[in-house]
Amino acid sequence: MNGHRPQPRLGGWPMVAGGLLAALLALPPARALLEASMLRHMLLQAPLLLLAGALLAGAAGPQARTAMARWNAYGISGLLAAGGILSLLMVPRALDLALVAPPVEAAKFVLLLLAGAALRLSWQPAGLLVQGFFLGNVLPMMAVAGQLYADSTVRICNAYLLDDQARLGEWLIALACGFAVVWLAQVARTMVLRDAHAAALDAAPTLLLKK
Amino acid sequence: MLRTALAAALLACAGYAGASWLTDDFQIWTAEGARRLEVALQPVSVPAVRIEGPGIPVQPLAAWLHAPGRVTVVDFIYTRCETLCLSLGGVFQQMQRRLQQGGGGGAGDGVRLLSISFDGEHDTPDRLAAYARGLGADPALWQFARVPDAHESAALLRRLQVVVVPDGRGGYEHNAALLVLDAHGRLVRVFDLAEQELALNYARHLAAKGDA
Repeated sequence: MNGHRPQPRLGGWPMVAGGLLAALLALPPARALLEASMLRHMLLQAPLLLLAGALLAGAAGPQARTAMARWNAYGISGLLAAGGILSLLMVPRALDLALVAPPVEAAKFVLLLLAGAALRLSWQPAGLLVQGFFLGNVLPMMAVAGQLYADSTVRICNAYLLDDQARLGEWLIALACGFAVVWLAQVARTMVLRDAHAAALDAAPTLLLKK
Repeated sequence: MLRTALAAALLACAGYAGASWLTDDFQIWTAEGARRLEVALQPVSVPAVRIEGPGIPVQPLAAWLHAPGRVTVVDFIYTRCETLCLSLGGVFQQMQRRLQQGGGGGAGDGVRLLSISFDGEHDTPDRLAAYARGLGADPALWQFARVPDAHESAALLRRLQVVVVPDGRGGYEHNAALLVLDAHGRLVRVFDLAEQELALNYARHLAAKGDA
């Protein structure tokens, strides 16, 4: 995501794209298509809503960001909110309810957009430690839920088929592992870069002193 | 940092409240669990739908259910089913045997079994009769019916929260369960297939209470 560098002037198009994506996902045919299968409901619709939320968060100007950052030191509030929303929506009843209760469906859309925005605004300030804590909670939860879905012999959602549920379980486990590997690789890279930087400082102290 | 702590605490409370609402105070995690709890707390009346089947001329479901001391254990099936309904059939066979053994003027005699097909287009009364013969159903205790009108059938499934999903291979998956309905045509309890003993005892208890 965006580092601490000043934002390149992209104009408003990411926000427009985010808004369009959210509106597109809310269209009844898109909802019917994505919610017909448990796999698409959880692993396509939800991530797309997160993405739309993240794009929309770009609408926050520097002032708004500073104001929000005061309530969101180290991204703690934002990641807590995102983690909470993701775990709530992993309760099987939430999926079934979203299909039959329009208020729950609306709440699901809003919450996922908010979670996407919160992730974008909080990830960088969080730093490795808070990121690790967040992932250390969310990823095992994802993997355990996936294991349950994959192994269950009964359907946990009335609206979805058993093999759909099992496939979703396998995907959840794979994704949790994948995210963990990617993040750990990033941590390793940061560490190596830090070490290299420190070594460079050690190797050329005089050079730096002269400056 | 203080503001962040405050925001985090508020978010945690909101999350707890949301989770508590969604899971009914952390009792249930699935829609099926919620359905069973709702029914146990607040009985659900069957809508005005007509049924027919072998030995059952077309009549309102509520009328069929209505008799003094009558309690009906209902399951939803379709005759082409080769998985869940077969085990449902097995469960009903065992329950029928128990009813036959316990028969003869004992308490809770008014308990009847009714299998309702949600595949009304295919499951004509003739097909249901053949299916019933195959399962060895005793018409005095266990009858089969369909809801001939598709709209009424859908309304019945919706009201009783029976969810039927086409499996893409010409069959269906559905939340099979044992539904206990009283003489007033109200669904009073939903039991799991594994709880047949409990369902039967509950139905008998209810029937005996109705007699008194």
